[in-house]
Amino acid sequence: MDNAIKTLIRYEWISFARNRFQLLMIGVTFLFGLYAIYYGQSEIDAQRNVIKEIMEMEQGEFKTYQASFKREPETVEEEQNHDIASNPAFAWYRHGYHAILPPHDYAALAIGQRDLFRYYYRLTGMSLHYQLFENELANPVNLLAGNFDLSFVIVYLLPLLIIAFCYGLYSGEKENGTLPLLHIQSVTISRIVVIRLLFYFTLITGLAILMSLIGLISSGSVFKPENRLPALLWVVGVIIYTAFWFGLLFLIVSYRKSSSFNAITAAGCWLFFLIVIPSVLNIVVTTMYPLSSTTLASLTRRTGFENEDDEEETKEVIMEFLAHKPELAGSDSLIRNNRLAKAYAAFTSLKDINSQQEVDHYNEQVNKRNDWTTHFHWINPAVSMQDVFTHIVHTDLNTFLRFQDALAVFHGKITDFYFQKLFRDQPILFEDYSRLPSFQMDEDTHRYTTASGNILKISLLAILFVMAGLVQIKKKNLI
Amino acid sequence: MRDLFSIARKEIIIALRERLVVSLGIIILLLLGVALYAGYLSYSQQSRIIAEKQQEKRQEWLGQGDKHPHIAAHYGTFVFKPKTILSVFDFGLDTYTGTSIYLEAHHQHEFMFRPAQDHSSMIRFGELSAALVLHVLLPLLIIFLAFSSFTKEKETGTLKLLLSQGVSYATITWGKVLAYGVALVVILAPYIAGMFILATFSVSSSFIPDVALRTILLVVVYMLYIFIFLSLAVWVSLRSATGRNALLTLLACWIFLVILMPKTVANLSESFHTLPSMRAFKEAIQNDIRDGVDGQTPRSVRRGKLEKEYLQKYQVDSVHQLPFNFEGVSMQAGEEYGNMVYDIHWKKLRDIFHRQNRMGSIASIFNPYLAVQHLSMALSATDMHTAIDFEDKVETYRRELVRKMNNDMAQNSRYGEFYEYKASIDLWNEVEDFSYVVPSAFEILQYYKLEMISIVGWSILIILLLNYSNRKSKPIHG
Repeated sequence: MDNAIKTLIRYEWISFARNRFQLLMIGVTFLFGLYAIYYGQSEIDAQRNVIKEIMEMEQGEFKTYQASFKREPETVEEEQNHDIASNPAFAWYRHGYHAILPPHDYAALAIGQRDLFRYYYRLTGMSLHYQLFENELANPVNLLAGNFDLSFVIVYLLPLLIIAFCYGLYSGEKENGTLPLLHIQSVTISRIVVIRLLFYFTLITGLAILMSLIGLISSGSVFKPENRLPALLWVVGVIIYTAFWFGLLFLIVSYRKSSSFNAITAAGCWLFFLIVIPSVLNIVVTTMYPLSSTTLASLTRRTGFENEDDEEETKEVIMEFLAHKPELAGSDSLIRNNRLAKAYAAFTSLKDINSQQEVDHYNEQVNKRNDWTTHFHWINPAVSMQDVFTHIVHTDLNTFLRFQDALAVFHGKITDFYFQKLFRDQPILFEDYSRLPSFQMDEDTHRYTTASGNILKISLLAILFVMAGLVQIKKKNLI
Repeated sequence: MRDLFSIARKEIIIALRERLVVSLGIIILLLLGVALYAGYLSYSQQSRIIAEKQQEKRQEWLGQGDKHPHIAAHYGTFVFKPKTILSVFDFGLDTYTGTSIYLEAHHQHEFMFRPAQDHSSMIRFGELSAALVLHVLLPLLIIFLAFSSFTKEKETGTLKLLLSQGVSYATITWGKVLAYGVALVVILAPYIAGMFILATFSVSSSFIPDVALRTILLVVVYMLYIFIFLSLAVWVSLRSATGRNALLTLLACWIFLVILMPKTVANLSESFHTLPSMRAFKEAIQNDIRDGVDGQTPRSVRRGKLEKEYLQKYQVDSVHQLPFNFEGVSMQAGEEYGNMVYDIHWKKLRDIFHRQNRMGSIASIFNPYLAVQHLSMALSATDMHTAIDFEDKVETYRRELVRKMNNDMAQNSRYGEFYEYKASIDLWNEVEDFSYVVPSAFEILQYYKLEMISIVGWSILIILLLNYSNRKSKPIHG
């Protein structure tokens, strides 16, 4: 580093440190960052508490069942409990299992769609589609307002800070009359502008990394294997995103227009990236891929037999169901026992089988929308960045769609477990409680490649802007 | 007066020469057009589907064949949330409120399917609606248009010239406000006219009768909003030394009012008044129905008491001797008990919503953006109170439907029999089709007193501020 650069940086620091307004902005942004971390954590903690509460309910339920094997029932209630615990004719639709999508440690930093989608379901052996479409309680007004989490501070507010610091880097000198003084220095103007930009880049990126580290460390250890990569990608993403905005500002400044022009153009870009493009894409995708949930709504209807006492009607349904289930082969000879329970089990399962196509079609449409909007990440670095954040902390749409798929698999396990007992007339034994079906969801291996791909796209844009800026600023070197 | 107009004319000419401002104006116009067009497309798509489906469900209900009324009550029907024609203008909460509900006996279901769930997290960046353009983007155009209105005159020295000609500060200020106001109204005029035509001639929206009135009120609200931002921008420009300062101050105001504050208020309200989880909410309802609200009177006890009551009332020894089917009466009593429990829990839940949204209303006193956002949703019938009103009317309809089924069972079937009795289409026909009419604009505005006070208050405040500064400003400062 030569002396001129050292001098430049030293004086930039002095002028920065003496500007109360700039210090205030940095301080306010930092406080907003802290609040955002706190808010995100409180939101996710609330979800963790709900999960805990739910698990306790489930454990309580199954404890009652297990306890009923331990001693002879004395009251009517105890007898009922034992029936529910041991008789598959009751158990298949009374035993409730929770499928839970626990928050990632860093979900607090980018809540994404987590406040909108359900992260837990109670499933019984009854029709999956009865149980799938219920919403979580939420205030629509607050859903519309969105979350003030760290990703919001980084995606929305940091660019504004960058604009406020950099829009007058060249024009300010011109307007203050200090430009001719700079021209007579040995260092070229373009060099001065670049060095000053780098100074602020270090400062603001430093602030962003500081906030991120506070968020990351306070939300979960960065050394845990499942946290290492997300933490790294988060920090890299933040650096690239600020670099993109500095590149853009550099390009704007390099045109050497007035301060007001720069400020308006930069604010206009911010508006475009953060409000106009995403909101236009949202409305276009809504009209291009119209979706109507009204067809799915019908699946939640609770239908039953015309006449439960009609043996023929119920038998037919059971036989139709058994045709779908080779693993239950041979159980048709036992139809007479517990006929009604079997008939209802068959009935709701058939309903699921028959409506699966409709649900798949609907999800496919949602996926199409998602894919279509992904194409626009190139022109949409802010949304792209938000997408990176939600991907690495598991709060993106895909996670929830995959959760739904895992629910279907889990529901299959539950029905298999109970229907084996029910259709083969076997009671549920105390030993069976040690091998109850359990929920599993595989890790999505693509999420980090998707996130890295997006980061790459943003960095290419950043490089593009910097190059264009360099070309522009080298043109006409004198006033 | 002549000075006022010549200043206004000059401002318009200057504004037209600013390429940046003109292009921004054109962009906003285009966005407004796109927003209205796309809004109309999705409105007509959705309302067609909803009307078809609603019709289909009605046919299903009528054509369900002969069956026991209680089975019919379980078979139930569906209601879909209709879209109002004004949602073309402001989507409001439509993306975040559930759209369909299943109506059946014993259970008060919640609305399912929030449309936002069909989107990636990009939906949280907002959707382009005409309202978004008007209350988010238009203030920015105003800022860019007016931030230099005084500072430029100061920087170029023309302010002194003007004042030396005997023109007062008041004339200059109001001339500028008038100029920008006229420019904006001219830009927006085709859309306002279009809205009027759309609103008054659309026949399909029978459930929102006072569209014309609502449109007029919307225009008034937005006019005041534009006036507030315009005067604020001119005032800041008057008080600032340089254009740069004025621009930065105004942009900071915009970010605070439009981006930061709404989110913060909503999030704080969420932290102060927490909602229960759906699981816990439902569990509490089921427990109360099972064990009684006091936890002491389970279902069997309640039924026993009811039985005793009826036996005494009709002076008979067994329910078989009653002149109607006691099962139906008991079923309806159970239903009413369930309804009471639901009402208690729903009221608690709604109270939390109200307390949360109350914070937004109070915040709107300090923030005209919030006030206009709320009023705009209210007038477009896409706000929380209209949504709640809809939910309540649907629930009343469900209860009536179930009551009719249970009464029919009590009157026409015999105790201990179930599949032997079948009701027919005559009974299904007795349940009228669900039809919804939104509350009138005045009824809805009752909930938005604070918001109305806010925009009127801000308008007055800004006039006073401008007048005060006009009097206090000395030419020497120019």
